[in-house]
Amino acid sequence: MAYQLYRNTTLGNSLQESLDELIQSQQITPQLALQVLLQFDKAINSALAQRVRNRVNFRGSLNTYRFCDNVWTFVLNDVEFREVTELVKVDKVKIVACDGKSKYGLTVI
Amino acid sequence: MDQNNSLPPYAPGLASPQGAMTPGIPIFSPMMPYGTGLTPQPVQSTNSLSLLEEQQRQQQQQQAAQQATAQQATQGTSGQTPQLFHSQTLTTAPLPGTTPLYPSPMTPMTPITPATPASESSGIVPQLQNIVSTVNLGCKLDLKTIALRARNAEYNPKRFAAVIMRIREPRTTALIFSSGKMVCTGAKSEEQSRLAARKYARVVQKLGFPAKFLDFKIQNMVGSCDVKFPIRLEGLVLTHQQFSSYEPELFPGLIYRMIKPRIVLLIFVSGKVVLTG
Repeated sequence: MAYQLYRNTTLGNSLQESLDELIQSQQITPQLALQVLLQFDKAINSALAQRVRNRVNFRGSLNTYRFCDNVWTFVLNDVEFREVTELVKVDKVKIVACDGKSKYGLTVI
Repeated sequence: MDQNNSLPPYAPGLASPQGAMTPGIPIFSPMMPYGTGLTPQPVQSTNSLSLLEEQQRQQQQQQAAQQATAQQATQGTSGQTPQLFHSQTLTTAPLPGTTPLYPSPMTPMTPITPATPASESSGIVPQLQNIVSTVNLGCKLDLKTIALRARNAEYNPKRFAAVIMRIREPRTTALIFSSGKMVCTGAKSEEQSRLAARKYARVVQKLGFPAKFLDFKIQNMVGSCDVKFPIRLEGLVLTHQQFSSYEPELFPGLIYRMIKPRIVLLIFVSGKVVLTG
């Protein structure tokens, strides 16, 4: 079971909303929607691990941090995301990070 | 007398014959009696470190003021007043219940003393680097709740059974256990340690636990200082064998376990000294 971390992303949220609409209009069952989300988890985890190659650096000041259930949550201020091509500056960024190297498949919500 | 004041702080006893604590005997001689020399000064002041740092600073200021007035006074008597004041500081510096290591026997040995004793004791004061304290919050805590809701907290029960929380002011780290007991480290003074522990207790209280502030106790204090001259560790271990342990291949510093007060000092060749206990 892969991390359900990516469900609360732009892509994941759009998927969830679409699935909810289909459930509302009785076109799919809730059980099927759950299966779709699980498949989404697997797909996004493997895609990010295998198909993404580019590298982004970021630097900012740490406001808060938290480590619980093997999940790191950071809030940074005045962050610069730097890629070779471009630079993005933000006032506040929240980073939720799960363990990448662990063998056991965690479902983290 | 002026020449003593202009001496570099690390060689006060060498210039004038009557300026040395034990006249004529150089500082590094192993024959030097126990209650003399430079090193007593920083050690002695650790007696009064806890809670009396400010008093020490006041003493230094007074000594500096005394020195200034002594220079203006006549040459003959200028030596007397700092010495007298110095013996006064010996008796007022220690806390009630702790006896000074080097009491006033110094006074009879150097009847006419220049300003060097005063400048020695105001020369170096150990700086506090770390205070470790414990307090009992008096109630059982749910560490997972604390880790999830508090800011700047880490909780990895597989590795360590406590929440590690940090605050920025005073910059400290606390280990909070599920029994309600807490360890607070990193503060630079006793008062800051107590204040930091209170802040952590308030964080826990705001999360809904009935936290109290029981049995706050300072467990350890670490200070460091520099005597500004190189120290011959081999000589020290020869004269104070029962207190020193020196294994240069293992650790470059000499570990001196003083009995009274119960302090461990790490003494290095460079002249830097770390005091803990």
